[in-house]
Amino acid sequence: MNRPAPDALALQLAELLAQCALKNQHSFNKLYQLTAAKLYGVALRILRRQDWAEEVLQECYVNIWNHAGDYAMAKSAPLTWMTSIVRNRCLDWLRRPQTEATGEQYDVAVEAWQDDAPGPMEQLAASSEAAALARCMQQLDAKQRQSIMLAFFNGLSHSELAAHMKQPLGTVKTWVRRGLERLKTCLGTA
Amino acid sequence: MATYKNPQLRDKLAAGYVLGTLRGRARDRFVALLRYDFDLRRVVAEWEARLTPLAAAAGEIAPPARVWQAVSRRIGGAARGASWWESLALWRGLAIAGTSFALVLAAYVGMAPRPEPPMAMVAVMNDDKGQPALVVSWPPMKAMRDPHIRIKVVQEHPVMESGTSWEMWMLPGGKAAPVSLGLITTDRDQVMKINPALVNKMGGAWGIAMSVEPARGSPTGAPTGPVIFKGQCVKIL
Repeated sequence: MNRPAPDALALQLAELLAQCALKNQHSFNKLYQLTAAKLYGVALRILRRQDWAEEVLQECYVNIWNHAGDYAMAKSAPLTWMTSIVRNRCLDWLRRPQTEATGEQYDVAVEAWQDDAPGPMEQLAASSEAAALARCMQQLDAKQRQSIMLAFFNGLSHSELAAHMKQPLGTVKTWVRRGLERLKTCLGTA
Repeated sequence: MATYKNPQLRDKLAAGYVLGTLRGRARDRFVALLRYDFDLRRVVAEWEARLTPLAAAAGEIAPPARVWQAVSRRIGGAARGASWWESLALWRGLAIAGTSFALVLAAYVGMAPRPEPPMAMVAVMNDDKGQPALVVSWPPMKAMRDPHIRIKVVQEHPVMESGTSWEMWMLPGGKAAPVSLGLITTDRDQVMKINPALVNKMGGAWGIAMSVEPARGSPTGAPTGPVIFKGQCVKIL
C-alpha cells in the first residue's frame, strides 16, 4: 500500500509523543491542545452522551500518557494510533452489558447527523488527514458508504447492520465487502 | 485451531476486525491469533491506516476544560522515568562540528577587541530550528574573583511575554538534573553572576539551556516551561 509521507502535523505529534514518553508534561499539554477536539468529536459521535464521552476521553489521554513510549512512527501515524485508542475504548464501552440493553445508539442514522454541523461526508472532505479516503468514499455506492460508516461509528455486526438498515444479511455483507475492496484498491493507487 | 493461512481470508478478517463487524467467537479467535502472528498484525495495521481517518467525519468539538483538569491531576505526580534533559531528541540537530557553530565561534573568537581574559568554555545555544541564538562563555571560573558568565545575543531575541521569565540552566550531563544559573534579561549582551557554590560544577558543564518560566523563575527548581535555546559546552582552555 502506498502510504503518503508524514505531514507536518504528524511529525509534530510524533515528536510530542516521544517527549511524553520521557514524562515532559509541557509536551503532553501541547499534544492535548492539538488533538483533543478531534478525539472528543469521535467519542461524542460514537457514544452520543457527553458524560460518557468526557469520561472515555479522560481515560484515553491518561492511557496515551502512560503508553506514549509504545508508539512507533514506523508502525502507524500518530493520529491513527491515538484515534484507534479512543474508538476502541468507545466501542468496548458500548458493548458493556448495561449499555447493550438500550438500543438508543442505533437510532440515529449516520447519513443525517442530528445537529446543525455539516454532514459526515463534508467533514471528511474538509479534513486534511482524510483527503484520500474522502475521495475514495465518494466513489462508493451510497449503500456501501452508509453501511461502512454505520459499522465504523457504531461497531455494528453484520446482523445488527442488517436489522438497522432493514435489509437481508447477505445484501449487507456484500455492501460492506465490496465497499472495503473498492476502498483498498482506490487507496492503494492514491 | 484455525490459523487462517489464506491471504484473502486474512485480509477480509483484518478489515472486519478494524471496521467492527467481526464479532463474537470469530473475533475472539482473531484476537488470539494476533498475539503471535506478526504478519497478521501488519495486515491489521494496514486496514487501520486505511479506515481510521473515517473518524474525521465526526468533526471537531472542543471538550470542556474539566476534562484536561482531570487528566492533568491524574498524571500530576508522574516524574518517573528518564527526564527531558536526557532525551536525545533535545539534542537532535545540534552539530558541534556544524557550519553555523563554527562560523559563530570563529566570529566570536576573532572579534576585536578580544574579550579578556581568554574564554575557557563556550556554548553556542541554538533555537529549535538549529539557528544560533545565544553564545555563552566564561574564563576559567575558579580563578575569577567575581565568577560570572558572558551572554551574547546573536539572533534577534523573541519577545518575552509578560508574566514570564527566561531562566538559564547548566546541564551537568548524564542523568544529573539541570542546575539553575538564574534569570536573564532581554539585553543583548550581559554578564550573569554565578553563585560561588556552583563554580566547581561549571568546569564540568556539559550543556546550557534556556527555558521560559513563570515571572519569578521555575517554582520547582527544575525547568517547567519550554526549552527554547540549548547548546553544548565546548572546552577551549
